Amino acid sequence: MERAEPMERAGRSPAWALFVGPYGIYLLVFLVLPFANVALLSVYLHSPTKIAVAEFTGANYAKLWEAYYFTLFLRTLRLSLIVTVLCAVLGLPLAYLLARSTSGIKTLGLFLLIMPLMVSTVIRVFGWVVILGNEGLVNQALRLLGAEEGLRLLYTEGAVVLGLSQQSLPFMVLPIMAAIERISPSLEEAAQNLGASWGQMFARVILPLSMPGLVSGALLVFSVSMSAFITPALMGGRKGRMVGQQIYEEVLTAYNWPGAASLTIILSALMLTLVGLALWTTRRRARLEMAR
Amino acid sequence: MPGRAPRFLWPFAIAVYALLLAPLVVVIAVSFGSSSTFDFPPRGLSLRWYRAFFSSETFVRSFFRVSQVIGLSTALVATVVGALAAIGLVRLRFRGRQAVETFFLSPLVVPHILLGAAVYLYLARLAWPTSSITLLLGHIVIATPYVIRCVTAGLVGMDPRLEEAAMSLGCSRAQAFVKVTLPLLRSSLVTGAVFAFIISFSDINLALFLAGPGAPSLPVHIFAQIQFEADPSIAAASALQIVIVGGLILLVQRLFRLRLMV
Repeated sequence: MERAEPMERAGRSPAWALFVGPYGIYLLVFLVLPFANVALLSVYLHSPTKIAVAEFTGANYAKLWEAYYFTLFLRTLRLSLIVTVLCAVLGLPLAYLLARSTSGIKTLGLFLLIMPLMVSTVIRVFGWVVILGNEGLVNQALRLLGAEEGLRLLYTEGAVVLGLSQQSLPFMVLPIMAAIERISPSLEEAAQNLGASWGQMFARVILPLSMPGLVSGALLVFSVSMSAFITPALMGGRKGRMVGQQIYEEVLTAYNWPGAASLTIILSALMLTLVGLALWTTRRRARLEMAR
Repeated sequence: MPGRAPRFLWPFAIAVYALLLAPLVVVIAVSFGSSSTFDFPPRGLSLRWYRAFFSSETFVRSFFRVSQVIGLSTALVATVVGALAAIGLVRLRFRGRQAVETFFLSPLVVPHILLGAAVYLYLARLAWPTSSITLLLGHIVIATPYVIRCVTAGLVGMDPRLEEAAMSLGCSRAQAFVKVTLPLLRSSLVTGAVFAFIISFSDINLALFLAGPGAPSLPVHIFAQIQFEADPSIAAASALQIVIVGGLILLVQRLFRLRLMV
């Protein structure tokens, strides 16, 4: 009979490579190398006939300063910020309610939150197209109320914001809910016993303590929105174009691969910078709070 | 419990849920309509668009031959690879473990549209034509982290003394793992596999780039149909997807703490 080895000693054997190796190698081949290739491609020369020529140039990046791309990035940033704020406003109270409700309601609430998140984006957008279209639900209701002409709701920035908010709201609610669950209800009672109204208690107790959840939720919502493609493509028309669409078209229809690559790199860099900044400011704030 | 969750929050919450579920409800309602436009509320009830869906060769192929097959294959591969990775990360100590874990979960935060474009351009450089195989390769990247999360949570919550007890009764380390730990991990593994399937089944951003011209997945086919010739068989296809995904989530909600997944 083999003697059972103590766990720690077995743990130091090179066996870990067998467990961690397969996915590690897989990610190297299908995640790291593809993005390395994009970085390389982004400094290649674009040629209308050969797609990409291996001559180094900064032209693909210089081009992004043109008014067209600049507006595109600005719109993408602006819409993503609006979506993030909207999701925070809608998500905070919902997260609080779910965190503080009985387990039966919580189970149902979580199901109804996660189910729409897992259905394909294209289907959710299709639902919105039916609701907002010229003959859609909203316009029918308006006509019943006596409106002469329907509103043009689809193919506007507002439609894109609505669609993106619906899609990313669960990303906001779940982390905030987790943060609020960690706050002891006795803190709320203490605040209210000392004379705070519910609103004051929420603003001074719940909000600051759920900040880490709010930040991670906001980061998730923001990055989902920044890289959106399906929603602006089907709901945005010309007015609601976003960077994701530009990348898709430059790869698959315009065959400007170096152009698409530089857009990908800039979008990733922009997102990483903003995410890093948000994390840095919250850490800094936390440190300042501690120092106080 | 005095004064918690004030009443006025309830109407607010119901309104937010209405917003969240509106598109899905509308899609399901339209799929049972009888007219050939997207009427909501539907003017008459019929199964006409389900018949149209099942008699359309492209819809049936994209649903059963492409999306379902790729989803199941993704689930299988992601579960094996992801479970191995999770076991390695939780049970074994090695240098850089933390960094490896971050790396393994990174596909959760890489935007899928960028990953799709990057893999597409990479395959183009290798002169590897896109097909269902390349889509499967892409889906494994994004589905495996879900399995890793599930199995990690399952392993962390397990009492290590169970395995030790088995070993003190004469099992080798490997036997103890297979006979004691693995059965206890069953619900984590099932949940991981189901999520891997759903991620693959619902994905459109990778599929747009990697599915290959001859074999669109169901979401890609729906996307093309919405853009060009729209008839309510799209709604039938979408309603089927909603029911499958909803049913699977209901199933795993019984097995696992769902919120860990997002």
